[in-house]
Amino acid sequence: MKIIVCIGSSCHIKGSRQVVEKLQCLIAENNLSDKIELSGTFCLGKCQQGVCVTVDDKFFSVAPETVDEFFKDEILAKA
Amino acid sequence: MNDLCADIGWKSINHYGEQLCGDHVEIVEKNDNSIVVVLADGLGSGVKASILSTLTSKIISTMMAAELPLEECVSTIAATLPVCSVRGVAYSTFTIMHIIGNETAEIIQYDNPQVIVLRDNKNYDYPKTEINIDGKKIYKSVIRLQEGDIFIAMSDGCPHAGIGMAYNFGWKREEIIEFMETMSVTGLTAKNLSTLLVDECDKLYGQKPGDDATACIVKIRRREPMNILFGPPFNRDDCDRMMSLFFSKEGKHIICGGTTSSIAAKYLRKPLRASLNFEKSDIPPIAKIEGVDLVTEGVITVNKVLEYAKDYLGKNEMYEHWNYKRDGASLICQLLFEEATDINFYVGRAINPAHQNPDLPINFSIKMNLVEELSKCLKLMGKRIKVSYF
Repeated sequence: MKIIVCIGSSCHIKGSRQVVEKLQCLIAENNLSDKIELSGTFCLGKCQQGVCVTVDDKFFSVAPETVDEFFKDEILAKA
Repeated sequence: MNDLCADIGWKSINHYGEQLCGDHVEIVEKNDNSIVVVLADGLGSGVKASILSTLTSKIISTMMAAELPLEECVSTIAATLPVCSVRGVAYSTFTIMHIIGNETAEIIQYDNPQVIVLRDNKNYDYPKTEINIDGKKIYKSVIRLQEGDIFIAMSDGCPHAGIGMAYNFGWKREEIIEFMETMSVTGLTAKNLSTLLVDECDKLYGQKPGDDATACIVKIRRREPMNILFGPPFNRDDCDRMMSLFFSKEGKHIICGGTTSSIAAKYLRKPLRASLNFEKSDIPPIAKIEGVDLVTEGVITVNKVLEYAKDYLGKNEMYEHWNYKRDGASLICQLLFEEATDINFYVGRAINPAHQNPDLPINFSIKMNLVEELSKCLKLMGKRIKVSYF
């Protein structure tokens, strides 16, 4: 599974750093490092909906507060 | 003409408790590729000393730049300086470093500590001729320049550092030379070398300088071109033109901005790989494109660079933040402030619709201001700047 988080200007201001760090932490906690590839990208062109995250090319809008929920529903459930 | 240039930097600290510095450095660049640097140290400290040294350095640098003979400069100063009511004399010492065509240096010294010259990181004992102008003993030297030559001019506050505190007789010239020989090996800029020297004096004075202390350093180095791309072009059709102009230039290439780097990656037909390494800083991570020396995020990073640039020109206190860190802004600073001498800016004027959101602290005019302010700062660092808009 491939998760890509936007680290462009807009998403950075909206907290992409916290999103990345939380995801890294959650992936490690759940021992999923060998199944999930987490990487960054510059602008995905949907800055209004940031923080922009894609999971296997499917788009999600995530905020630092919703990372846990997003991880449970979209990643843990499918991994 | 050769491809050498002079990197000039200086720093002063004030006599403890004084608002003004009694030392003054004046730098005048002439059209014919020569530069006049004057360091003047006014008698006493505070307002009076500041007026004396400002007048002296302004008069000398202006007159030297207008190619008037040295005798005339000196007698003009003697006739102009106000006489101190306490001491009954008008007095300001000075050091002139005249760099001509990046080939020779003419050094003229009056009563300041002798200029230290380092060649190949070793002390170089240069010949001096004594001349007498209106009863003043003035030393003149002419030196052929070599790459890596470092000229260190100081006010007497430097060798006097630590008198009666750290040292009995102050910081001896031999010890200053030894200190600077060690520092010069690291390839630091003139500004950072002078900062190190003056900060060391401050330390010896126990942070309470007994005199104004100034170091002004001229470092002879090779010209180094650098190119920086910031923002996509206003007109989409100009992408290829902008990219081909940018990549055809000699020197290193820096790209700032997410969309901008995607355009560059497409132009080069190479993948753009963003890293997720935040480097313990508030700056977004950098990315990599094969063939580009540095790829960073745009506005936030450049804003930080500007903050560092302003500090570098002034007190130079944030130097330790950017000098070794690996985040985007620090890396740009290392390239632009330390490495580059000629910088070409390629600025795109596209408006990012996402940035026009009032909730975001970035918008188009801020972006354009950043470029203007940054190029102004870089000019003040003595760099040659060219800005092209697309």
